[in-house]
Amino acid sequence: MFIDLQFNVVFVMQELYEIPPSFDRLVLMVIDGLPAEFVLGRDDRPPSMVIEEVMPYTQSLLASGMAFGYHAKAAPPTVTMPRLKAMVSGAIGGFLDVAFNFNTQALLDDNLIRQFFNIGWQMVMLGDETWLKLFPGLFTRHDGVSSFYVKDTVQVDYNVSRHLGDELNRTDWNLLILHYLGLDHVGHIGGRSSVFMGSKVKEMDEVIKMIHLSTKQFQDNDQGRTLLMVVSDHGMTENGNHGGSSYEETDSLVLLVGLKPKASDYQLVTHSTIHQVDIAPTLALLFGVPIPKNNVGMMIAEAFDSLTDDQQLRILELNSWQLLRLLQVQIPGLSCGSLSCDVLSNDQWLGITECNGSDEEMLCCLFANAVVLHKSWKSKKISRSNSGDEYHMTVLAYDNFLGAASKWLSGRATYKPAGVLIAGVAAMVFSCLVFIGLLFWLDQEVYPCKVCHLSDVKDIVLKCHFDETYVLAIIFILVLSMGSSSMVEEEQYIWHFLTSTFYLVLLRKAVQSLIARTRQNLISLIKGQNRSSYIQVSSIILILITGRIMRGWHQGGVNWAHLPDISKWLEQAGRCYVKSIQLVSWVLIMSLGVYSLFSLQSKKYSAMVIGLTFLVPGALVMQHIIEYQDTSFAASSYGSNSTVQIIYTLLGVSTLGAFFGVPWLMPVPSPKILSVHTGSLSSNFLADLRMKFLVVGFRDSIYVIGWAYIHYWCLLQLLLQQPTNSMPVLFLLVQILAGMYYCSKGGIHLKHFAYVAGLYYLGLAGHFALGNTNTLATIDVAGAFIGISSHSTLLSGILMFIITYASPMLALLSMVMYMAVKETCAPVNAQDVDIGHFLKMTVSFPCLVPLGLNSIVLVAYTIVLLLMRNHLFVWSVFSPKYLYVCATTACVYIGVSVVSLTAIYTSFVFAFRSRYVAVLHQR
Amino acid sequence: MVEKKKKQQAVNGNDAVPSPSSSSSPWQAFLVHLLSGLGLASALGVAHKFYSANLVSDPLHTLRLIWVIEAPIVVLIYSMFRSNPKQCSYWKAVGRGILGLPVGAVVNALGAIALGAPVGPKYFLKTVNWSLLMSLFTVVPAASVFGSSWTDWIRLFGHTKPSGSNDYMICLPAHGAVIGAWFGAWPMPLDWDRPWQEWPICVSYGAIAGYLIGMVASFGLVLLRGERQHIKGE
Repeated sequence: MFIDLQFNVVFVMQELYEIPPSFDRLVLMVIDGLPAEFVLGRDDRPPSMVIEEVMPYTQSLLASGMAFGYHAKAAPPTVTMPRLKAMVSGAIGGFLDVAFNFNTQALLDDNLIRQFFNIGWQMVMLGDETWLKLFPGLFTRHDGVSSFYVKDTVQVDYNVSRHLGDELNRTDWNLLILHYLGLDHVGHIGGRSSVFMGSKVKEMDEVIKMIHLSTKQFQDNDQGRTLLMVVSDHGMTENGNHGGSSYEETDSLVLLVGLKPKASDYQLVTHSTIHQVDIAPTLALLFGVPIPKNNVGMMIAEAFDSLTDDQQLRILELNSWQLLRLLQVQIPGLSCGSLSCDVLSNDQWLGITECNGSDEEMLCCLFANAVVLHKSWKSKKISRSNSGDEYHMTVLAYDNFLGAASKWLSGRATYKPAGVLIAGVAAMVFSCLVFIGLLFWLDQEVYPCKVCHLSDVKDIVLKCHFDETYVLAIIFILVLSMGSSSMVEEEQYIWHFLTSTFYLVLLRKAVQSLIARTRQNLISLIKGQNRSSYIQVSSIILILITGRIMRGWHQGGVNWAHLPDISKWLEQAGRCYVKSIQLVSWVLIMSLGVYSLFSLQSKKYSAMVIGLTFLVPGALVMQHIIEYQDTSFAASSYGSNSTVQIIYTLLGVSTLGAFFGVPWLMPVPSPKILSVHTGSLSSNFLADLRMKFLVVGFRDSIYVIGWAYIHYWCLLQLLLQQPTNSMPVLFLLVQILAGMYYCSKGGIHLKHFAYVAGLYYLGLAGHFALGNTNTLATIDVAGAFIGISSHSTLLSGILMFIITYASPMLALLSMVMYMAVKETCAPVNAQDVDIGHFLKMTVSFPCLVPLGLNSIVLVAYTIVLLLMRNHLFVWSVFSPKYLYVCATTACVYIGVSVVSLTAIYTSFVFAFRSRYVAVLHQR
Repeated sequence: MVEKKKKQQAVNGNDAVPSPSSSSSPWQAFLVHLLSGLGLASALGVAHKFYSANLVSDPLHTLRLIWVIEAPIVVLIYSMFRSNPKQCSYWKAVGRGILGLPVGAVVNALGAIALGAPVGPKYFLKTVNWSLLMSLFTVVPAASVFGSSWTDWIRLFGHTKPSGSNDYMICLPAHGAVIGAWFGAWPMPLDWDRPWQEWPICVSYGAIAGYLIGMVASFGLVLLRGERQHIKGE
């Protein structure tokens, strides 16, 4: 019954199409990342000799006219999943598809695979499991391979080819999809000119040969005609990356093997350029299924050469109708279709007009021309006065319409309604203004214009203003530089330059205050302060030195990424160097952790407990480094996974334990001793008690919690980051701790927001020092699977986020510690200790400053992106950067909420404890 | 970038009243700046004429030529304005200036590297020559004039509070050169593929431009100040 229905569908379709399908079976071979240049050459030059030699069979097919090759222009983003969608649905997706590249969901739009399924095709898929996620349940047989283990170049392809011989001998399938990932992996590892590239291309050539010979045999036995279509989803840059819109990346291949051989010029066969979306209508028309609804492509004319004139025109007509329907959806008022039906008259030439005017009119007119010509041709044909000339004119008219409509629709695919955009930008601007306004208001409240009327410190005020305006200037310089594509590509230089300049300015200031104090060292007390000034100077110098080393760790960027840097040098030097670097960083991180925990003044005993909980995951991380990181891809072994999972659990539990437990357990100096001289339980005493709890207890426990956040985060990074990145993680920690020391010794000479912004900038500069760039190619995909036994997109997404935003998050988490070490404007008057006021003084700046700075960047960058939407590099440079900006925003919000939650929770716990103790005393 | 020079004064600091520096007339200031500027111009001219080189084509040798020609001019001229001519002979001031040259170069080089100047054997000599030139712009005049009088150093570079025409003559061109160099570094990451984007070419251009602007400003201020004093005197 069901089968009957399917046959009916096929029958009805063929009836409707008036054309029998040209082929019975289709082999769709996808070679991931193969640039068309490898096979077809570039700009009238044949492909480079090396490649030509390793693809003998394909080249012979092309030379003999058995195969047709095309440069198929892929739309950015040139990553696999959106490209597959474009091939099967003919629609151009949005850039946001990149974000879902690793989290593929079923494709629900009208597409070829579903159409084939509907007419009862049996489909087999071997290769990249993205297909299985896009089309769950549609394949009769499948063997998916994961595209994540980028370092594997052999096994991925073997897993596809091992079934090939068997499948080719079977007759039960109609569509065989082969998706080879190896070539893309070779590119990712070694670039276009990798030593493995030749053998990989040769392997692909042999697969093509095998399929072609087998299909020929089938055809000779009259078992059906098979079309082999070899496509690549995208190309690759010289370094083997992809994602952008350069010629090298968008130059993908379409190779049709099995059409009627056409003796034609080799140049002609190999140098026509089409669009990747043209694959969908071509296949649909060849196999007699409806063209996918959202298709914007036009069919490849050569594929239909074997049909009669009548049928070819019918094909053109079908494609035109489909595009016209799509146009009518886009332009609601478009009604030329009905109009043209009436135009049919004996005097067909009347309908042919020069087409100009607005886009809509022009498309309408082109369509009308084609239809009129077609009708007249048909009527002529009936009257047996067939002329080749008129046929060509009709084809030309259809081509014109198809070309124009396809182009217009492709441009339309990225169009977004202006109203929504303006509302969005307005909302962003509003929130940004709210942040800045709040900050300004707080600043006024905390520093109530106390220096304005002191005329003799006027120049000091001027100096202060220089430092603080520079903090703001950094963000504005950054925003201005974002308008230039190369500044976006090389953002790491800007961050390092601006941040180092900021710390040099601070160094100058620290030296100034040092000297100002030595001048008046009559008072012996000052000597202690002088020492703290030395600490300030040395901590800034430490920040500068480590910052410079981190800058040299990864060259980063795009244009100079090939220059030598420390990480490349380490990788070349060998594994034992990398390992020793890792161990040194581990030892230093552990000892820094223990040292900074014990530098807490009060109550070493409670700190010891926390220290112990720190040592255990530390030791496990060490064990993991020593045992497992050598064997890079056996790392997914069971033992390693369980170790890592234990570490995750321990880190999670002890962080939560610190968060919930420390405020309750942190001992507070007993108020009894303090209240000896107050005598009675006066209100004075109660206020004193409250203040003791709020200020001392709060500060101590916040210090310990902040310490735990920072160090557990660093341990996690030691585990997750690439082995060469362990030293930068250590340096980041050193910078943050040096920043803490600087803040804790600070006098009054810098405002709150400058300190916070300084720490935040350190985090952002460190983001690039860990090897991140503004292209999507540097996201560490391999690290996202450490310790995950089953494939889970959510978990690996979280890990990827943790790895990528290691540094900004560390800076944000350090704000907790900052609240503890910075002498906030502690309530001078013990009477008015109010928890709200206290929180406002401590929490507001560390939270609002990152939010405000980030929102300025977000707003500015959104506007830049809108202005640049027609820029040549919008897909390759600006859009990925925007994804990063959005992810940074998410990171800032997560970090800030952690900070504020911690502070609020802790202060409430202490308020409760102080009340409890007060009640005890009153009894 | 201005600020890194302060490290060296951090060690010492005696509480003395700022010594009244001997004032120089606007004409002297003009002459000093004119000679320094001419030194720069002649160095570039010599490089162009005899070696047919300029900063872009051969930065290493051009920078070396510039500082070799400029060094005697700066040291000899500024030594005439030494702050306490009675206790300090002219040649002692010259010696201080010569000593200040490598010290200042080290400070400048460290500052530049902290801000991201490339390190490595390929860049070593370029950085050395560039920092010697920067040292001539920034540290050497002050070394010749003030020697080891730290309070003066702090006044000029720590607080940027020049008082008196000598201070202007030292302070403004030095700050100009440093700020100019800072701005000169901005085109370096752009992908224009121009030869002058290499370290240290555009930074040197920036520094020279800033130095020239600083000299003009210093002459203007000295002139202004002289007139004001003149009026006061009357």
